[in-house]
Amino acid sequence: MKEISELNLPEDIRYTKTHEWAKKIGKTIKVGLTDYAQNQLGDIVFVELPKIGESFSKGDEFGNVESVKAVSEIYMPVGGEVVAVNQELESTPELVNQNPYSEGWLIELKPTHPAEWDALLDKAAYLVELKG
Amino acid sequence: MKPPLLESPVCAVKKAALSDIENRMIQTNKKILCCDLGQIEYKVALRLQHDIVLCIIDGSIDHPLLLFLEHPPVFTLGKNKGRENLIVPESFLKEKNIQIIPIERGGNITYHGPGQLVVYPIINLHQTALSVMEFVDGLEKVMIRTAGDFGIRTERNKKNHGVWIGPNKLGSIGIAIRRGVSFHGLAMNINNSLAPFSWIHPCGLEGVSMTSLKKEIGNELNMKQVKDSMKRHFSVLFEFTLEEIDRTVFNQMILNKQKNESRLQRENHNKKTIMA
Repeated sequence: MKEISELNLPEDIRYTKTHEWAKKIGKTIKVGLTDYAQNQLGDIVFVELPKIGESFSKGDEFGNVESVKAVSEIYMPVGGEVVAVNQELESTPELVNQNPYSEGWLIELKPTHPAEWDALLDKAAYLVELKG
Repeated sequence: MKPPLLESPVCAVKKAALSDIENRMIQTNKKILCCDLGQIEYKVALRLQHDIVLCIIDGSIDHPLLLFLEHPPVFTLGKNKGRENLIVPESFLKEKNIQIIPIERGGNITYHGPGQLVVYPIINLHQTALSVMEFVDGLEKVMIRTAGDFGIRTERNKKNHGVWIGPNKLGSIGIAIRRGVSFHGLAMNINNSLAPFSWIHPCGLEGVSMTSLKKEIGNELNMKQVKDSMKRHFSVLFEFTLEEIDRTVFNQMILNKQKNESRLQRENHNKKTIMA
């Protein structure tokens, strides 16, 4: 497994304490699992995602990932309506391990309260969380 | 001597901060409350687990719990799969009054029944600085060492997690993680009947058969000895001081929480009524 210094933690995205990332793409936000999360979970064998059009509040469980006999819930970084889901993960869930910030993205959402973005962690704050 | 779990190939992220983790463990006095619930209906135990997870998340229970129990005959399905691996008609199970319950853990279809030792560790993995992989790995080690105490050599198998004796599976693992808290756990065949496993492809694997310690050893085991062995290995491997609580204390702890919940629900209901 990776040392903290080996983790890929891009500067241009935000993070949650529950190890999701969020990236602004115009007016929508793309969401995925961080490199730390995928590394901790091990080989991901199944990803369950919501349907397009479903809405959730910040912190709500919106799906789960299954790895090494463990199902882990995943949570909304900000509240919003799901406008896209990564269909590729149905047949190739390992993309979350391989490219967590690109091909392994989970959902795209339209935020309900754009101000919630400001409460997300930047890379430095997320690193503090990881170091405990 | 360092504890074996942390010596094994563990998460390097944790390795780097090993002394910090060790210090934190000492500071927080890693205690786990252990309760033997005896035989308990699957759905009742599930509700209990959900309650405990909530208590740990909201801090009203500030120690992890280790539940030892047995279930009456039941089949459970993993979160994402399992029913396709039932190879008898559902009506056959209905006649025998055996339920099939889909649940939120990982893994595939499995069977629980009297004589099988089921252990549910309900633990905040973040607080105990364990990755999911380390935790699953540790649960396997607990089973391997327990079997070892009874002279049975088990191993891991690349095909599937859990513990194996050659092509036969002795123990299984399936956990769920909610806000960092792991629940569900492991099931190890001790004295239980293995026949119901022939009604499914256990863990979704064809050509796999199950075994039990009784079958391997040739006679019935003393369940208390098995539990004691497992408690000892759990405590050593995960570095917990194990504190046994009896059923009455456990019930009281959970009952208080449930009372609080219904009080809150009543208060919320009253608030809503007032607002309406």
